[in-house]
Amino acid sequence: MQWWVLTGRTLRAMIRRYELVIAVIAPLIFTVGFYLPLKFVMQLQGIDYAQFLMPIIVLQAMAFTSISAAQMSAREKITGFSSRMQTMPVYGPVPLLSRMSSGFVRSVVSLTAALVYGHAIGFRFTEGIGQAALFCGLALVFSTCLSLGADAIGSLSKSPQATSQALTLPQLILGMLSCGFVPETGFPEWIRPFVRNQPVSQFSFAMRDLAHGGVTSHTMFPVVMWSLGLLVVCAPLAYWASTRRA
Amino acid sequence: MTSTDKSLDQNELRRGRTLNFPEPNAALPENSAKALWTHSLIQARRLLVSWARDPSTAIQALLYPALTLIMFRVVLGNSISAATGQPSIYGTVPLIILVGAMFGSIASAVGLRTEKTSGLLSRFWTLPAHRASGLVGRMIAEAVRVLVTTIVIIGVGFIAGFRFNQGPVAAIGMLLLPIVFGIGFAVMVTALATVSDNLPLVEIVSIGCTLLMFFNSGFVPTMAYPVWLQPVIAAQPMSVAVEAMRGMSLGGPVLVPVLKTFAWSFGMIAVFLYPAIKGYRRAASD
Repeated sequence: MQWWVLTGRTLRAMIRRYELVIAVIAPLIFTVGFYLPLKFVMQLQGIDYAQFLMPIIVLQAMAFTSISAAQMSAREKITGFSSRMQTMPVYGPVPLLSRMSSGFVRSVVSLTAALVYGHAIGFRFTEGIGQAALFCGLALVFSTCLSLGADAIGSLSKSPQATSQALTLPQLILGMLSCGFVPETGFPEWIRPFVRNQPVSQFSFAMRDLAHGGVTSHTMFPVVMWSLGLLVVCAPLAYWASTRRA
Repeated sequence: MTSTDKSLDQNELRRGRTLNFPEPNAALPENSAKALWTHSLIQARRLLVSWARDPSTAIQALLYPALTLIMFRVVLGNSISAATGQPSIYGTVPLIILVGAMFGSIASAVGLRTEKTSGLLSRFWTLPAHRASGLVGRMIAEAVRVLVTTIVIIGVGFIAGFRFNQGPVAAIGMLLLPIVFGIGFAVMVTALATVSDNLPLVEIVSIGCTLLMFFNSGFVPTMAYPVWLQPVIAAQPMSVAVEAMRGMSLGGPVLVPVLKTFAWSFGMIAVFLYPAIKGYRRAASD
Protein backbone atom coordinates (compact mmCIF):
# COMPACT_ATOMS: atom_id res chain seq x y z
CA MET A 1 0.00 0.00 0.00
CA GLN A 2 2.78 2.44 0.95
CA TRP A 3 4.65 1.14 -2.05
CA TRP A 4 1.70 1.89 -4.31
CA VAL A 5 1.30 5.47 -3.03
CA LEU A 6 4.99 6.27 -3.41
CA THR A 7 5.20 4.70 -6.85
CA GLY A 8 2.23 6.74 -8.02
CA ARG A 9 3.89 9.85 -6.64
CA THR A 10 7.17 9.34 -8.51
CA LEU A 11 5.35 8.42 -11.70
CA ARG A 12 3.36 11.63 -11.60
CA ALA A 13 6.54 13.61 -10.98
CA MET A 14 8.10 11.84 -13.95
CA ILE A 15 5.29 12.93 -16.24
CA ARG A 16 5.43 16.49 -14.93
CA ARG A 17 9.16 16.69 -15.55
CA TYR A 18 8.81 15.36 -19.09
CA GLU A 19 11.09 12.48 -18.11
CA LEU A 20 8.90 10.01 -19.96
CA VAL A 21 9.12 12.16 -23.09
CA ILE A 22 12.90 12.09 -22.81
CA ALA A 23 12.79 8.31 -22.32
CA VAL A 24 10.98 8.10 -25.66
CA ILE A 25 13.14 10.64 -27.53
CA ALA A 26 16.59 9.46 -26.42
CA PRO A 27 16.48 6.10 -28.25
CA LEU A 28 15.13 7.87 -31.34
CA ILE A 29 18.16 10.16 -31.49
CA PHE A 30 20.50 7.21 -31.07
CA THR A 31 18.69 5.10 -33.64
CA VAL A 32 18.74 7.66 -36.44
CA GLY A 33 22.05 9.13 -35.27
CA PHE A 34 23.93 5.89 -35.73
CA TYR A 35 21.86 4.03 -38.29
CA LEU A 36 21.66 6.57 -41.11
CA PRO A 37 25.34 7.65 -41.17
CA LEU A 38 26.88 4.23 -40.54
CA LYS A 39 24.57 2.01 -42.57
CA PHE A 40 26.70 2.47 -45.69
CA VAL A 41 30.01 2.07 -43.85
CA MET A 42 28.82 -1.20 -42.30
CA GLN A 43 27.29 -2.50 -45.50
CA LEU A 44 30.79 -2.53 -47.00
CA GLN A 45 31.76 -4.96 -44.26
CA GLY A 46 28.71 -7.11 -45.03
CA ILE A 47 26.74 -6.19 -41.93
CA ASP A 48 22.97 -5.72 -41.79
CA TYR A 49 23.25 -2.68 -39.55
CA ALA A 50 19.63 -2.48 -38.36
CA GLN A 51 19.87 -6.00 -36.97
CA PHE A 52 23.35 -5.33 -35.61
CA LEU A 53 22.64 -1.97 -33.99
CA MET A 54 19.34 -2.39 -32.14
CA PRO A 55 20.64 -4.31 -29.09
CA ILE A 56 23.07 -1.51 -28.21
CA ILE A 57 20.40 1.14 -28.81
CA VAL A 58 18.17 -0.69 -26.36
CA LEU A 59 21.02 -1.08 -23.87
CA GLN A 60 21.95 2.60 -24.16
CA ALA A 61 18.33 3.56 -23.59
CA MET A 62 18.32 1.37 -20.48
CA ALA A 63 21.51 3.01 -19.23
CA PHE A 64 19.90 6.40 -19.76
CA THR A 65 16.93 5.47 -17.60
CA SER A 66 19.31 4.37 -14.86
CA ILE A 67 20.96 7.79 -14.90
CA SER A 68 17.53 9.31 -14.38
CA ALA A 69 17.09 6.86 -11.50
CA ALA A 70 20.25 8.21 -9.89
CA GLN A 71 18.99 11.76 -10.32
CA MET A 72 15.70 10.80 -8.71
CA SER A 73 17.28 9.28 -5.62
CA ALA A 74 19.72 12.19 -5.33
CA ARG A 75 16.80 14.62 -5.48
CA GLU A 76 14.87 12.72 -2.79
CA LYS A 77 17.95 12.72 -0.61
CA ILE A 78 18.70 16.42 -1.02
CA THR A 79 15.19 17.71 -0.59
CA GLY A 80 15.05 15.76 2.65
CA PHE A 81 12.30 13.51 1.35
CA SER A 82 14.28 10.39 2.26
CA SER A 83 14.87 11.56 5.82
CA ARG A 84 11.20 12.45 6.08
CA MET A 85 10.25 8.93 5.03
CA GLN A 86 12.59 7.52 7.62
CA THR A 87 10.89 9.47 10.41
CA MET A 88 7.49 8.12 9.42
CA PRO A 89 6.21 4.61 9.95
CA VAL A 90 7.25 3.62 6.45
CA TYR A 91 8.73 0.18 6.06
CA GLY A 92 12.50 0.55 5.36
CA PRO A 93 13.01 -0.53 1.76
CA VAL A 94 9.67 0.80 0.48
CA PRO A 95 11.01 4.11 -0.92
CA LEU A 96 13.73 2.20 -2.75
CA LEU A 97 11.20 -0.31 -4.10
CA SER A 98 8.88 2.42 -5.29
CA ARG A 99 11.73 4.21 -7.07
CA MET A 100 12.66 0.93 -8.71
CA SER A 101 9.12 0.17 -9.85
CA SER A 102 8.54 3.63 -11.29
CA GLY A 103 11.94 3.35 -12.95
CA PHE A 104 10.82 0.00 -14.32
CA VAL A 105 7.81 1.66 -15.93
CA ARG A 106 10.12 4.21 -17.53
CA SER A 107 12.40 1.45 -18.82
CA VAL A 108 9.44 -0.38 -20.35
CA VAL A 109 8.35 2.83 -22.07
CA SER A 110 11.85 3.45 -23.39
CA LEU A 111 12.25 -0.17 -24.50
CA THR A 112 8.94 -0.11 -26.35
CA ALA A 113 9.90 3.12 -28.08
CA ALA A 114 13.28 1.69 -29.09
CA LEU A 115 11.67 -1.43 -30.53
CA VAL A 116 9.22 0.65 -32.55
CA TYR A 117 12.10 2.66 -34.05
CA GLY A 118 13.96 -0.58 -34.65
CA HIS A 119 11.03 -2.02 -36.53
CA ALA A 120 10.92 1.11 -38.65
CA ILE A 121 14.53 0.68 -39.79
CA GLY A 122 14.13 -3.03 -40.45
CA PHE A 123 15.00 -4.78 -37.19
CA ARG A 124 13.06 -8.05 -36.84
CA PHE A 125 12.62 -10.87 -34.33
CA THR A 126 12.96 -14.06 -36.35
CA GLU A 127 13.28 -16.61 -33.54
CA GLY A 128 9.76 -16.65 -32.22
CA ILE A 129 7.96 -15.15 -29.30
CA GLY A 130 9.96 -16.89 -26.56
CA GLN A 131 13.31 -15.53 -27.62
CA ALA A 132 11.80 -12.10 -28.32
CA ALA A 133 10.44 -12.07 -24.76
CA LEU A 134 13.84 -13.08 -23.46
CA PHE A 135 15.35 -10.17 -25.45
CA CYS A 136 13.08 -7.74 -23.62
CA GLY A 137 13.70 -9.54 -20.35
CA LEU A 138 17.45 -9.19 -20.69
CA ALA A 139 17.10 -5.47 -21.42
CA LEU A 140 15.01 -5.01 -18.27
CA VAL A 141 17.38 -7.08 -16.14
CA PHE A 142 20.22 -4.89 -17.39
CA SER A 143 18.22 -1.78 -16.61
CA THR A 144 17.30 -3.02 -13.11
CA CYS A 145 20.90 -3.89 -12.20
CA LEU A 146 22.16 -0.50 -13.36
CA SER A 147 19.28 1.35 -11.71
CA LEU A 148 20.03 -0.29 -8.36
CA GLY A 149 23.65 0.78 -8.61
CA ALA A 150 22.72 4.24 -9.83
CA ASP A 151 20.14 4.62 -7.06
CA ALA A 152 22.82 3.88 -4.48
CA ILE A 153 25.19 6.42 -6.02
CA GLY A 154 22.40 9.00 -6.12
CA SER A 155 21.51 8.39 -2.46
CA LEU A 156 25.11 8.88 -1.44
CA SER A 157 25.77 11.95 -3.58
CA LYS A 158 25.33 15.62 -2.88
CA SER A 159 23.82 16.93 -6.11
CA PRO A 160 21.69 15.51 -8.94
CA GLN A 161 23.66 17.38 -11.63
CA ALA A 162 27.02 16.12 -10.44
CA THR A 163 25.60 12.59 -10.24
CA SER A 164 24.36 12.57 -13.80
CA GLN A 165 27.62 14.06 -15.04
CA ALA A 166 29.63 11.45 -13.19
CA LEU A 167 27.48 8.61 -14.52
CA THR A 168 27.50 9.82 -18.12
CA LEU A 169 31.20 9.06 -18.27
CA PRO A 170 31.06 5.28 -17.62
CA GLN A 171 27.99 5.06 -19.81
CA LEU A 172 29.83 6.72 -22.67
CA ILE A 173 32.95 4.61 -22.24
CA LEU A 174 31.27 1.23 -21.72
CA GLY A 175 28.65 1.95 -24.37
CA MET A 176 31.04 3.11 -27.07
CA LEU A 177 33.88 0.71 -26.29
CA SER A 178 31.68 -2.29 -26.89
CA CYS A 179 30.87 -4.53 -29.80
CA GLY A 180 27.46 -2.87 -29.99
CA PHE A 181 28.18 -0.20 -32.60
CA VAL A 182 30.97 -1.80 -34.59
CA PRO A 183 32.26 -5.38 -34.69
CA GLU A 184 35.31 -6.26 -32.64
CA THR A 185 37.53 -6.17 -35.74
CA GLY A 186 36.84 -2.45 -36.09
CA PHE A 187 38.80 -1.74 -32.91
CA PRO A 188 42.55 -1.30 -32.61
CA GLU A 189 44.17 -4.55 -31.54
CA TRP A 190 45.30 -3.46 -28.07
CA ILE A 191 41.81 -2.67 -26.81
CA ARG A 192 39.99 -5.72 -28.18
CA PRO A 193 40.23 -7.97 -25.09
CA PHE A 194 38.51 -5.32 -22.99
CA VAL A 195 35.92 -4.58 -25.65
CA ARG A 196 35.06 -8.23 -26.16
CA ASN A 197 34.63 -9.20 -22.52
CA GLN A 198 32.93 -6.24 -20.92
CA PRO A 199 29.27 -6.67 -19.95
CA VAL A 200 27.72 -4.38 -22.56
CA SER A 201 29.34 -6.39 -25.36
CA GLN A 202 28.24 -9.68 -23.82
CA PHE A 203 24.67 -8.44 -23.49
CA SER A 204 24.69 -7.19 -27.07
CA PHE A 205 25.95 -10.58 -28.36
CA ALA A 206 23.19 -12.44 -26.55
CA MET A 207 20.46 -10.00 -27.58
CA ARG A 208 21.59 -10.02 -31.19
CA ASP A 209 21.31 -13.81 -31.25
CA LEU A 210 17.97 -13.72 -29.47
CA ALA A 211 16.57 -11.49 -32.17
CA HIS A 212 18.07 -13.36 -35.08
CA GLY A 213 19.96 -16.64 -35.30
CA GLY A 214 19.01 -18.18 -31.99
CA VAL A 215 20.89 -18.02 -28.75
CA THR A 216 23.04 -20.77 -27.26
CA SER A 217 23.86 -21.46 -23.64
CA HIS A 218 27.43 -20.58 -24.53
CA THR A 219 26.41 -16.99 -25.32
CA MET A 220 23.94 -16.76 -22.47
CA PHE A 221 26.29 -17.95 -19.74
CA PRO A 222 28.40 -14.76 -19.43
CA VAL A 223 25.29 -12.62 -19.50
CA VAL A 224 23.67 -14.56 -16.67
CA MET A 225 26.89 -14.39 -14.68
CA TRP A 226 27.28 -10.64 -15.24
CA SER A 227 23.64 -10.06 -14.25
CA LEU A 228 23.97 -12.13 -11.07
CA GLY A 229 27.25 -10.43 -10.23
CA LEU A 230 25.81 -6.93 -10.74
CA LEU A 231 22.73 -7.85 -8.74
CA VAL A 232 24.72 -9.29 -5.85
CA VAL A 233 26.80 -6.12 -5.63
CA CYS A 234 24.20 -3.46 -6.44
CA ALA A 235 21.07 -4.66 -4.61
CA PRO A 236 22.58 -4.72 -1.08
CA LEU A 237 24.41 -1.49 -1.85
CA ALA A 238 21.18 0.25 -2.89
CA TYR A 239 19.40 -1.13 0.19
CA TRP A 240 22.16 0.05 2.48
CA ALA A 241 22.44 3.48 0.86
CA SER A 242 18.72 4.16 0.94
CA THR A 243 18.04 3.02 4.52
CA ARG A 244 21.18 4.52 6.00
CA ARG A 245 20.66 7.38 8.45
CA ALA A 246 22.40 10.55 7.41
CA MET B 1 39.17 52.92 15.00
CA THR B 2 39.62 54.88 18.23
CA SER B 3 36.85 56.67 20.02
CA THR B 4 38.15 60.07 18.98
CA ASP B 5 38.00 59.05 15.30
CA LYS B 6 34.45 57.92 15.80
CA SER B 7 33.41 61.22 17.34
CA LEU B 8 35.16 63.05 14.53
CA ASP B 9 33.15 61.11 11.95
CA GLN B 10 30.01 61.78 13.90
CA ASN B 11 30.83 65.50 13.82
CA GLU B 12 31.49 65.42 10.13
CA LEU B 13 28.23 63.61 9.55
CA ARG B 14 26.45 66.23 11.57
CA ARG B 15 28.01 68.95 9.46
CA GLY B 16 26.37 67.37 6.42
CA ARG B 17 29.40 65.52 5.07
CA THR B 18 28.76 61.89 4.37
CA LEU B 19 31.10 58.92 4.24
CA ASN B 20 34.48 59.33 2.61
CA PHE B 21 34.18 57.43 -0.65
CA PRO B 22 37.33 57.81 -2.72
CA GLU B 23 37.03 60.37 -5.46
CA PRO B 24 36.34 58.61 -8.74
CA ASN B 25 39.41 58.99 -10.90
CA ALA B 26 38.62 56.48 -13.65
CA ALA B 27 35.03 57.44 -14.42
CA LEU B 28 34.15 57.09 -18.07
CA PRO B 29 31.07 58.52 -19.70
CA GLU B 30 28.58 55.63 -19.65
CA ASN B 31 28.13 55.45 -23.38
CA SER B 32 31.66 56.15 -24.58
CA ALA B 33 33.53 53.68 -26.74
CA LYS B 34 36.29 53.47 -24.18
CA ALA B 35 33.78 52.50 -21.52
CA LEU B 36 32.42 49.77 -23.76
CA TRP B 37 35.91 48.35 -24.23
CA THR B 38 36.95 48.54 -20.55
CA HIS B 39 33.65 47.30 -19.13
CA SER B 40 33.36 44.48 -21.66
CA LEU B 41 36.82 43.25 -20.73
CA ILE B 42 35.86 43.29 -17.06
CA GLN B 43 32.72 41.27 -17.82
CA ALA B 44 34.64 38.83 -20.01
CA ARG B 45 37.24 38.34 -17.32
CA ARG B 46 34.56 37.77 -14.71
CA LEU B 47 32.97 35.02 -16.82
CA LEU B 48 36.27 33.37 -17.67
CA VAL B 49 37.34 33.29 -14.04
CA SER B 50 34.02 31.80 -12.96
CA TRP B 51 34.21 29.16 -15.72
CA ALA B 52 37.77 28.30 -14.83
CA ARG B 53 36.77 27.77 -11.20
CA ASP B 54 33.68 25.70 -11.97
CA PRO B 55 34.59 22.09 -12.65
CA SER B 56 31.39 21.32 -14.55
CA THR B 57 32.21 23.94 -17.19
CA ALA B 58 35.68 22.48 -17.63
CA ILE B 59 34.18 19.01 -17.94
CA GLN B 60 31.60 20.14 -20.48
CA ALA B 61 33.91 22.35 -22.54
CA LEU B 62 37.14 20.32 -22.46
CA LEU B 63 36.95 16.83 -20.97
CA TYR B 64 33.82 15.56 -22.75
CA PRO B 65 34.86 16.80 -26.20
CA ALA B 66 38.33 15.30 -25.76
CA LEU B 67 36.88 11.98 -24.64
CA THR B 68 34.33 11.95 -27.44
CA LEU B 69 37.13 12.55 -29.92
CA ILE B 70 39.07 9.56 -28.59
CA MET B 71 35.92 7.41 -28.60
CA PHE B 72 35.03 8.28 -32.17
CA ARG B 73 38.58 7.57 -33.23
CA VAL B 74 38.93 4.24 -31.42
CA VAL B 75 35.42 2.92 -32.08
CA LEU B 76 34.53 4.19 -35.52
CA GLY B 77 37.84 5.45 -36.91
CA ASN B 78 39.06 2.29 -38.58
CA SER B 79 35.66 1.34 -40.03
CA ILE B 80 35.06 4.79 -41.46
CA SER B 81 38.60 5.23 -42.80
CA ALA B 82 38.41 1.81 -44.48
CA ALA B 83 35.03 2.54 -46.05
CA THR B 84 35.86 6.02 -47.31
CA GLY B 85 39.58 5.78 -48.05
CA GLN B 86 40.22 9.00 -46.13
CA PRO B 87 41.57 9.26 -42.57
CA SER B 88 38.50 9.87 -40.44
CA ILE B 89 40.42 11.99 -37.92
CA TYR B 90 40.36 14.97 -40.33
CA GLY B 91 36.58 14.98 -40.07
CA THR B 92 36.37 14.08 -36.39
CA VAL B 93 38.68 16.82 -35.07
CA PRO B 94 36.76 19.69 -36.73
CA LEU B 95 33.46 18.10 -35.74
CA ILE B 96 34.43 17.81 -32.08
CA ILE B 97 35.77 21.38 -32.03
CA LEU B 98 32.40 22.62 -33.26
CA VAL B 99 30.50 20.37 -30.87
CA GLY B 100 32.62 21.66 -27.99
CA ALA B 101 31.89 25.24 -29.01
CA MET B 102 28.17 24.56 -29.26
CA PHE B 103 27.75 22.67 -26.00
CA GLY B 104 29.95 25.22 -24.25
CA SER B 105 27.61 27.96 -25.45
CA ILE B 106 24.62 26.02 -24.22
CA ALA B 107 26.19 25.62 -20.78
CA SER B 108 26.95 29.32 -20.68
CA ALA B 109 23.39 30.19 -21.69
CA VAL B 110 22.14 28.13 -18.76
CA GLY B 111 24.56 30.14 -16.60
CA LEU B 112 23.10 33.34 -18.02
CA ARG B 113 19.68 32.24 -16.86
CA THR B 114 21.02 31.60 -13.37
CA GLU B 115 22.55 35.09 -13.32
CA LYS B 116 19.19 36.46 -14.28
CA THR B 117 17.24 34.65 -11.56
CA SER B 118 19.83 35.44 -8.91
CA GLY B 119 19.54 39.13 -9.74
CA LEU B 120 23.16 39.54 -10.72
CA LEU B 121 22.28 40.94 -14.14
CA SER B 122 19.94 43.49 -12.60
CA ARG B 123 22.68 44.47 -10.19
CA PHE B 124 25.04 45.15 -13.09
CA TRP B 125 22.29 47.08 -14.82
CA THR B 126 22.15 49.56 -11.93
CA LEU B 127 25.86 50.36 -12.26
CA PRO B 128 27.16 53.20 -14.40
CA ALA B 129 28.51 50.77 -16.96
CA HIS B 130 28.13 50.75 -20.72
CA ARG B 131 24.78 49.14 -21.58
CA ALA B 132 26.30 46.82 -24.16
CA SER B 133 29.20 45.67 -22.02
CA GLY B 134 27.36 42.68 -20.54
CA LEU B 135 26.57 41.16 -23.91
CA VAL B 136 29.85 42.13 -25.59
CA GLY B 137 31.85 40.85 -22.63
CA ARG B 138 29.97 37.55 -22.80
CA MET B 139 30.81 37.18 -26.49
CA ILE B 140 34.51 37.92 -25.84
CA ALA B 141 34.53 35.27 -23.12
CA GLU B 142 32.85 32.81 -25.50
CA ALA B 143 35.51 33.49 -28.12
CA VAL B 144 38.31 32.82 -25.64
CA ARG B 145 36.63 29.63 -24.48
CA VAL B 146 36.21 28.37 -28.05
CA LEU B 147 39.86 29.10 -28.78
CA VAL B 148 40.97 27.13 -25.70
CA THR B 149 38.74 24.19 -26.65
CA THR B 150 40.08 24.28 -30.20
CA ILE B 151 43.69 24.16 -29.05
CA VAL B 152 43.02 21.32 -26.61
CA ILE B 153 41.13 19.25 -29.19
CA ILE B 154 43.81 19.78 -31.83
CA GLY B 155 46.38 18.71 -29.22
CA VAL B 156 44.46 15.50 -28.53
CA GLY B 157 43.98 15.07 -32.26
CA PHE B 158 47.73 15.15 -32.78
CA ILE B 159 48.04 12.02 -30.62
CA ALA B 160 45.47 10.35 -32.86
CA GLY B 161 47.25 11.22 -36.11
CA PHE B 162 45.88 14.65 -36.97
CA ARG B 163 48.43 16.89 -38.75
CA PHE B 164 48.49 20.30 -40.44
CA ASN B 165 49.47 19.49 -44.01
CA GLN B 166 48.77 22.95 -45.42
CA GLY B 167 51.25 25.17 -43.63
CA PRO B 168 51.08 27.72 -40.82
CA VAL B 169 48.61 30.16 -42.42
CA ALA B 170 46.02 27.44 -42.83
CA ALA B 171 46.71 26.29 -39.27
CA ILE B 172 46.00 29.77 -37.92
CA GLY B 173 42.87 29.88 -40.04
CA MET B 174 41.79 26.63 -38.47
CA LEU B 175 42.14 28.16 -35.01
CA LEU B 176 40.12 31.24 -35.96
CA LEU B 177 37.28 29.76 -37.98
CA PRO B 178 35.65 28.01 -34.98
CA ILE B 179 35.55 31.37 -33.19
CA VAL B 180 33.48 32.92 -35.98
CA PHE B 181 31.19 29.91 -35.94
CA GLY B 182 31.06 29.90 -32.13
CA ILE B 183 30.08 33.57 -31.91
CA GLY B 184 27.28 33.09 -34.42
CA PHE B 185 26.00 30.16 -32.41
CA ALA B 186 26.42 31.97 -29.09
CA VAL B 187 24.36 34.96 -30.29
CA MET B 188 21.59 32.56 -31.28
CA VAL B 189 21.64 30.69 -27.96
CA THR B 190 21.73 33.94 -25.98
CA ALA B 191 18.68 35.18 -27.85
CA LEU B 192 16.85 31.90 -27.27
CA ALA B 193 17.81 31.75 -23.60
CA THR B 194 16.51 35.23 -22.85
CA VAL B 195 13.58 35.58 -25.21
CA SER B 196 11.22 33.47 -23.16
CA ASP B 197 11.11 32.37 -19.54
CA ASN B 198 8.79 29.45 -20.03
CA LEU B 199 9.74 27.66 -23.21
CA PRO B 200 12.60 25.16 -22.81
CA LEU B 201 14.33 26.57 -25.91
CA VAL B 202 17.86 25.88 -24.71
CA GLU B 203 16.94 22.24 -24.03
CA ILE B 204 15.48 21.96 -27.52
CA VAL B 205 18.66 23.42 -29.01
CA SER B 206 20.66 20.94 -26.96
CA ILE B 207 18.72 17.97 -28.37
CA GLY B 208 19.03 19.45 -31.85
CA CYS B 209 22.80 19.72 -31.45
CA THR B 210 23.06 16.10 -30.32
CA LEU B 211 21.25 15.16 -33.49
CA LEU B 212 23.38 17.44 -35.68
CA MET B 213 26.48 15.80 -34.20
CA PHE B 214 25.57 12.66 -36.18
CA PHE B 215 24.35 14.42 -39.29
CA ASN B 216 27.27 16.34 -40.73
CA SER B 217 30.14 15.62 -43.05
CA GLY B 218 32.61 15.29 -40.16
CA PHE B 219 31.04 12.19 -38.64
CA VAL B 220 31.17 10.32 -41.92
CA PRO B 221 31.65 11.91 -45.35
CA THR B 222 28.51 13.21 -47.03
CA MET B 223 28.42 10.46 -49.61
CA ALA B 224 27.93 7.78 -46.93
CA TYR B 225 24.52 9.18 -46.00
CA PRO B 226 21.32 8.08 -47.74
CA VAL B 227 20.96 9.96 -51.03
CA TRP B 228 17.80 11.84 -50.02
CA LEU B 229 19.63 13.19 -46.97
CA GLN B 230 22.84 14.29 -48.69
CA PRO B 231 21.78 17.81 -49.76
CA VAL B 232 20.75 18.63 -46.18
CA ILE B 233 23.96 17.18 -44.76
CA ALA B 234 26.14 19.09 -47.20
CA ALA B 235 24.45 22.44 -46.60
CA GLN B 236 24.07 22.49 -42.82
CA PRO B 237 26.34 24.92 -40.94
CA MET B 238 28.48 22.33 -39.18
CA SER B 239 29.28 20.52 -42.42
CA VAL B 240 30.51 23.61 -44.23
CA ALA B 241 32.72 24.53 -41.27
CA VAL B 242 34.01 20.95 -41.09
CA GLU B 243 34.81 21.01 -44.81
CA ALA B 244 36.62 24.33 -44.44
CA MET B 245 38.72 22.96 -41.59
CA ARG B 246 39.34 19.71 -43.44
CA GLY B 247 40.65 21.82 -46.30
CA MET B 248 42.93 23.75 -43.95
CA SER B 249 44.43 20.58 -42.45
CA LEU B 250 44.21 17.58 -44.78
CA GLY B 251 43.82 19.57 -47.98
CA GLY B 252 41.00 20.31 -50.40
CA PRO B 253 38.79 23.27 -51.23
CA VAL B 254 38.97 26.02 -48.64
CA LEU B 255 37.57 29.26 -50.06
CA VAL B 256 34.03 28.14 -50.83
CA PRO B 257 33.42 26.32 -47.51
CA VAL B 258 34.92 29.26 -45.60
CA LEU B 259 32.60 31.67 -47.37
CA LYS B 260 29.66 29.39 -46.63
CA THR B 261 30.68 29.24 -42.96
CA PHE B 262 30.84 33.04 -42.88
CA ALA B 263 27.44 33.21 -44.51
CA TRP B 264 25.94 30.91 -41.86
CA SER B 265 27.72 32.59 -38.94
CA PHE B 266 27.05 36.19 -39.93
CA GLY B 267 23.56 35.17 -40.97
CA MET B 268 22.90 33.82 -37.49
CA ILE B 269 24.34 37.00 -35.98
CA ALA B 270 22.19 39.17 -38.26
CA VAL B 271 19.02 37.30 -37.41
CA PHE B 272 19.56 36.82 -33.69
CA LEU B 273 21.55 39.91 -32.65
CA TYR B 274 18.54 42.15 -32.18
CA PRO B 275 16.54 39.52 -30.22
CA ALA B 276 19.67 38.85 -28.15
CA ILE B 277 20.08 42.54 -27.28
CA LYS B 278 16.40 42.86 -26.48
CA GLY B 279 16.39 39.65 -24.47
CA TYR B 280 19.49 40.59 -22.54
CA ARG B 281 18.09 44.00 -21.72
CA ARG B 282 14.85 42.43 -20.54
CA ALA B 283 16.70 39.82 -18.48
CA ALA B 284 18.79 42.53 -16.83
CA SER B 285 16.11 45.12 -16.21
CA ASP B 286 13.11 43.03 -15.19
